[in-house]
Amino acid sequence: MTSLLASIGFERWILHVLLALPLVAAVPVLLAPAALARRIALVATTVEFVLSLGLWWAVDTASGTLQLVVSVPWIKAWGISYAVGIDGISLTMVLLTTLLMPLCVLGSWNYITERERGYYAMLLTLLTGVLGVFVATDLFLFYVFWEVMLIPMYFIIGIWGGKNRLYATIKFFLFTMAGSLLMLVAILVLAWVVAGKTGTLSFAYEHLLANSAAAGPLAPYLFAAFALAFAVKVPVFPLHTWLPDAHVEAPTAGSVLLAGILLKMGTYGFLRFAVPFFPEVAMSPWVTNLVLALAVIGIVYGALVAMVQPDIKKLVAYSSVSHLGFVMLGIWAATVQSLQGAIMIMIGHGLATGALFFLVGMLYERRHTRDISAYGGIAKVVPVFSLVFTVVALASIGLPGLNGFIGEFLVLLGSFRAHPITTGIATTGVIFAAAYLLWALQRIIFNPLDKRENESLTDLSARELAVLLPLLAGIVWMGLFPAPVLERIEPAVRHYIEQVRGPIAALELSERTPGARP
Amino acid sequence: MMPLDLRTPFGVTLALMPEIALTAGALVVLLVNAWRHRTAADSRLSGYVALASLVPSAIALGLLWTGGARPEGAPFMVAVDGFRFAALALILVATAATILLSLGYLEREGLIAPEYYSLVLFAASGMMFMAGAEDLIVLFLGLEVMSVSVYVLAGFNRGSVFSAEAALKYFLIGAFASAFLLYGIALLWGATGSTSLSAIGAGQSGGVALTAIGKVGLGLFLIGMGFKVASVPFHMWAPDVYDGSPTPVTGFMATGVKAAGFLALVRVLDVAFPEAHEAWQPVIAGLAVASMVLGNLVALAQRSLKRMLAYSSIAHAGYLLGSIWAGTTLGAASTLLYLGAYALTTLAAFGILAVLGRGGEREVTLDSIAGLATRRPWLAFALSVCMLSLLGFPGTLGFVGKWAILASLVQVRQLPLAVILVVTSLVSAGYYLPVIMSAYMREPESAESHDQAGLPRAAVVTVTIAIAVVLIFGVLPSAALSSAIATAGTMVQSVAAP
Amino acid sequence: MTLSLLAIQAAEAISAPEGATRWVWLTVAFPLLGFLVNGALALRRPQAKTIVSIVGAGVLVAAFAVAALIYAELRGHPPEAPVIVQLWRWIPSGSLDIRFAFQVDQLSVVMLLVVTGVGSLIHLFSIGYMHADAGYARYFAYLNLFVVFMLVLVLGASLPVLFVGWEGVGLCSYLLIGFWFGDKVNADAGKKAFLVNRIGDFGVLIAMFLLWYTLRSLDFVTITAKAPTDLVAGGGLVTAITLFLFLGCAGKSAQIPLYTWLPDAMAGPTPVSALIHAATMVTAGVYLVARTGILFAMAPFSSAVVAGVGALTALFAASIGLRQYDIKKVLAYSTISQLGYMFLAVGTGAYVAGIFHLVTHAFFKALLFLGAGSVIHAMHQAYHATHSHADAQDMRNMGGLRRYLPWTFWLMLIATFAIAGVPGLSGFFSKDEILAAAFGRGETHRIWLVYWAMGMLAAFMTAFYMMRLMAMTFFGENRTGAAEQEYLHDAPPVMTGPLVVLGILTIAGGLINLPAFAGGHHALETWLEPVVASAQAAMPLTMPHGTTEYLLIGAAVVTSLLGLFLGWRVTLARPIPTAALAPAETGFARVLFRKYYIDEIYDALIVRPLVGISRLVLWKGVDQGLIDGLGANGSASLARGLGWIGSRLQSGQLGFYVVVFLVGAVWLLRAVVR
Repeated sequence: MTSLLASIGFERWILHVLLALPLVAAVPVLLAPAALARRIALVATTVEFVLSLGLWWAVDTASGTLQLVVSVPWIKAWGISYAVGIDGISLTMVLLTTLLMPLCVLGSWNYITERERGYYAMLLTLLTGVLGVFVATDLFLFYVFWEVMLIPMYFIIGIWGGKNRLYATIKFFLFTMAGSLLMLVAILVLAWVVAGKTGTLSFAYEHLLANSAAAGPLAPYLFAAFALAFAVKVPVFPLHTWLPDAHVEAPTAGSVLLAGILLKMGTYGFLRFAVPFFPEVAMSPWVTNLVLALAVIGIVYGALVAMVQPDIKKLVAYSSVSHLGFVMLGIWAATVQSLQGAIMIMIGHGLATGALFFLVGMLYERRHTRDISAYGGIAKVVPVFSLVFTVVALASIGLPGLNGFIGEFLVLLGSFRAHPITTGIATTGVIFAAAYLLWALQRIIFNPLDKRENESLTDLSARELAVLLPLLAGIVWMGLFPAPVLERIEPAVRHYIEQVRGPIAALELSERTPGARP
Repeated sequence: MMPLDLRTPFGVTLALMPEIALTAGALVVLLVNAWRHRTAADSRLSGYVALASLVPSAIALGLLWTGGARPEGAPFMVAVDGFRFAALALILVATAATILLSLGYLEREGLIAPEYYSLVLFAASGMMFMAGAEDLIVLFLGLEVMSVSVYVLAGFNRGSVFSAEAALKYFLIGAFASAFLLYGIALLWGATGSTSLSAIGAGQSGGVALTAIGKVGLGLFLIGMGFKVASVPFHMWAPDVYDGSPTPVTGFMATGVKAAGFLALVRVLDVAFPEAHEAWQPVIAGLAVASMVLGNLVALAQRSLKRMLAYSSIAHAGYLLGSIWAGTTLGAASTLLYLGAYALTTLAAFGILAVLGRGGEREVTLDSIAGLATRRPWLAFALSVCMLSLLGFPGTLGFVGKWAILASLVQVRQLPLAVILVVTSLVSAGYYLPVIMSAYMREPESAESHDQAGLPRAAVVTVTIAIAVVLIFGVLPSAALSSAIATAGTMVQSVAAP
Repeated sequence: MTLSLLAIQAAEAISAPEGATRWVWLTVAFPLLGFLVNGALALRRPQAKTIVSIVGAGVLVAAFAVAALIYAELRGHPPEAPVIVQLWRWIPSGSLDIRFAFQVDQLSVVMLLVVTGVGSLIHLFSIGYMHADAGYARYFAYLNLFVVFMLVLVLGASLPVLFVGWEGVGLCSYLLIGFWFGDKVNADAGKKAFLVNRIGDFGVLIAMFLLWYTLRSLDFVTITAKAPTDLVAGGGLVTAITLFLFLGCAGKSAQIPLYTWLPDAMAGPTPVSALIHAATMVTAGVYLVARTGILFAMAPFSSAVVAGVGALTALFAASIGLRQYDIKKVLAYSTISQLGYMFLAVGTGAYVAGIFHLVTHAFFKALLFLGAGSVIHAMHQAYHATHSHADAQDMRNMGGLRRYLPWTFWLMLIATFAIAGVPGLSGFFSKDEILAAAFGRGETHRIWLVYWAMGMLAAFMTAFYMMRLMAMTFFGENRTGAAEQEYLHDAPPVMTGPLVVLGILTIAGGLINLPAFAGGHHALETWLEPVVASAQAAMPLTMPHGTTEYLLIGAAVVTSLLGLFLGWRVTLARPIPTAALAPAETGFARVLFRKYYIDEIYDALIVRPLVGISRLVLWKGVDQGLIDGLGANGSASLARGLGWIGSRLQSGQLGFYVVVFLVGAVWLLRAVVR
């Protein structure tokens, strides 16, 4: 396989094609008649996914460093270039993105009934933007993708969203921008202080990473600026309140992409930029304690608030706050297990929550309400739907054998020694997760079938199954055979630990057997 | 290389060719009007003549610029460097755009008075003198020529009481401010014994600090300029005047007048007072912060889009002051870039606004453009691009401009100003985004709304070009950036660009 | 990546043992196959009941066959060390490398036989019991899936793999309790079971983390090998580990304080109660303690806690059982109580006795539940025929059924005697061993004598409420109703058949570990010796001998007979009114009837406050009030407000403008000159 890819020079062009293809495809989508537009979009995104699969073999994940690096000068005067690269971590995110996108197109097939052309064009633009964020290795480029990606989502929520969409969409936009504008200043400052030290002004990731020490006394402020931008996206409590609104108002695909991918951009940002740039600050006790506290609050608080939501989408939204809390915990524990767990959660949450939103959307298409109280006992009329819903919910609860468990288990296991109490509290999250999801499950698909409207519900169509089955397969596969993925991210994770904790720590944290005898 | 001895009439004439050509054009237009000044056709005719008369000026400018004209010996009265040429180009573009936008507008509003165009041209020539001035006296003359014409333009819509009010206010406070300016110049002359910028600069380069009198003079000068560029607290006139004047004139004021003011200001501060920066930097910073904060906050509270743009132009004056603060090559370059971006975007925005309003631009609100995208997709698209560029969103020229300003501030470690700039830009998102929202995300008020909102051909050309430039240079800013830095380098050598 | 998996599997295959043990994964694969087939049928062809029956029961029998082969193999040449069957690399992460592996040793084989054996019988019974149900296929799918997870639980070679089964059986229990989800009660019961178990799982997770950071391993072989050297006996660490583990066991095996879900779990179909909530799943906690016996043996305090909780639960549950009328509820509390005995055993260090009682209990409790099942079956049909809505499970509506259901009667009588501890029957031997062990431990620490006393008291109550159950159900006048009586009759052979088998096992079950005094040689004990050896070494047992032993036995026999006798007399002393006419309970009887109000207390202390706080304080208060109201929207409206004020200044009055201008000018000049 590898040799085959090499023979077609795969690794030379793949990243650029992945970035360009959606934009190119957006043009015919905009021009074609509506019925054709969605087909073109489906084909384009599917091709994108198939192409991206090649990365699984093309990227040499054995070395933890960035692969397939290409850098073309863009703004010479300031050492800004179009530079992309990929490693084990971003690989998983890229594949997750390209997998979800065709499903989103398929999932919107009948959901979107007006201005389809614009809609699918926006989806494609979003695809480019998100992929750009995951592969950009020049901070200017990264920032551009980071911001530009807002626009399509802004329109997707604002045009095809629900009743309260205007409030939701501008809230989403302003929250994100509030974070990222300060990051912009931070990027500039970092570049110039580094230039002051090295004499070359450049926004290349590796260059800044190698010399980020030049920030000196400015480091805490720069880290804060980066962290704010990413924390809003994650979202970290108490910056999370844009999420429920955005989720509730967004169309199905919008929610899927928000939860499945956009949130991961935040945690990815921490892993790729914020922490490696300023390890001393990020890993200082003060910051660590703050982040851990917020993470645990997010886990418990998100779960508890999710438990009492009357609206299914809001429930899932808050559950995301809870899940991403685990990721933050894993990142700051910074052990091999906790980091691999964090990334597994990022993937698993993308699959499970994505599927949940699809399912909610399918219910909504049938009943046009998201009130949990409007359902009940529908397992009798829509067995297949209920089966899928149950499995996905269980994955999200973290039932061993499904993907959710792997991530949570690794994160908690990896975080426990350094922060036993924190991890202990975080572990209660597994109880609350079961509480809110099972309660919702009961009120939706179990209990008496006491509403007339529900008696005539139709079960999943072939198209809907086509949307859900890939996710379901991923959920089970990642739960039973996560090894291939774990093997691919481990080197990158070790590399990361060396950056933030030094080589010795990287070894010690993962290998040393502690003296058990006190 | 074309060395010009500015002390000989010949040299000066050559150096001033663009201005002279334009003034001549203005006179031609007047002559035409002498015979033809009744019908709409006449008005249109003089419009085209005015447009045509920009050409020779542009050619002259091009020859000077490409010919690499430079002063032989010390510069005298008028600057001959890339920065001036760039400034003139900017002004010519703004003028051309204004004329194109006016063609359809005047007709529609029934303002059949061909003198309009000659006034625009006179104002333009004033701006050019001002922006190219190498001597405070020339600067003042240019400023007055410009101002007087603009006073009249502001009140050009005789039928409208608001227009009249605008003109009167502008004139009164304008005169007031001019007095400050003139007195400042006088004091500066007293303190430094010269009105030539380079001479003043050279005078201090020996480490001879500016005397208290000189500082007062500088202060008075800044007050006058602060008025022209509508920076807080000398901005009070702007909203009323922008609001009352005919929309193309508003555009002209927001771009041409502002541009001329800033270009002159940059030159004065960077050439004459680089040594005295401790004196003026705090002031500039104060004005900048005040303008950014107040302009954005108040814009947030506006319902009328025209008034919103008026206040936002105050905020942009704040950003531009920020670009001046550093006093470096990069700073001057960022001023150029941002002015260019701002001028193009604002002109396009006002042009679109003019057609949306049908005479009642003052009543154009978020509600009245609801659902524009469904009826007039391209108009909505153009408007959105304008808003994003003004917001400074990546992918537009506006972002490049803001990026350059931030860079110039970061380069000299002026972080507080940079932070305030981005935070206030966040506030601006609060009023720019809703425009896009109501254009795209709301239903039209009625089935036939926006039906007659069609741009006249001339305006279409202007807006299209503006948008295209904003987007192209937004995505590929390299050329614009490096040339801006190079151009600025011809005037400011203080700090080398990165 | 599949390639790499295959490679690993190949590698394992080489190291894997020869013979039947290598095929141990088949015992899991068969039920899994059954689950897939029946699941598909449930979704597509729910009416294909014949196929469902064949597949559903067939896979279990097949699994049992494999299990029997493996047993024979181990019997032939018992391995000194457990046989590990590696399946695939599951979670490799740094030094953590969890393989998905099964462990075949004497203990897991015993469990394997019980699960597949009793499982097969109950599957067969279900064919008859559930035949009329619409969800027939779904039922068997769930049941097969349960067996899959239960086998993973008992075969798992490491805690994480065990945890897969541990949670999986919980899931199936959840699905089967809520099988008739159309009634909110059932759905609630299912959810409650899952949640309470989750609280326990929290404990298991923490225990795993602790183990990982002390022993750097999670598989049982390594734990058993390393624990004695790497852990301080009686140290805080091992105590914490074991207590957290026990929290999990308490959840899974319904011990105080987490027992409340089991009585509600009776909402599920009766065969489910027999299989999951009596014979197999609920005993998983006991199995886990035995499996990690070495840890508990090294933590005397934890062992004392385990034994204490066990004894207390045994007594407490039995006392509630005294006053229940729902035949299944009685059996439910009886199960909780019997599980208490098992924990008393493993807590005392009598791991074999615990497992022994686990096995015998599986026999007679399954028999009792299935018997109750056929009683309910009969009652239900009777009421169904007469369209009566009386409660088919309330013993006050039964009485004198022995005439109508002779088979059921005799078989349940055997089981009753067994659980009551009538000499010669399986229950007698296993329970006696536990009590004896507790008494013996009393020498090392007095507290165990208290435990022993509690055990004896519980034994008396057990005999009492079981006899009460028999008396109310099968003796006296029939209270079902004249019209109904003609419909009351024994179940079809497919249901009675398994009962008979279980009856035999109930009688003969004692043989597997017949004590010396009864002419046996502790077969099970010798069989399990290699597994529990290290634990026993760390916590040696002192079984009473000679006269003490005989006195204890005598006491036990007397207690049980007394209990049976009193249970009989008190129950039939005065006529029993039917459920409809029964007067409300009063006094302490009421407290017992309402199960000490524990559910109400939990609800008031935990559930309601949690939901209330989440809704009112966290969501409405913090989220919407503080963060959004004050924070986001607050700052937005603040900006707007300031802007509004600013635009008010724009009065249009020229004079005012000039004033502002001048003020600005003054400030500016001051700033320049300075």
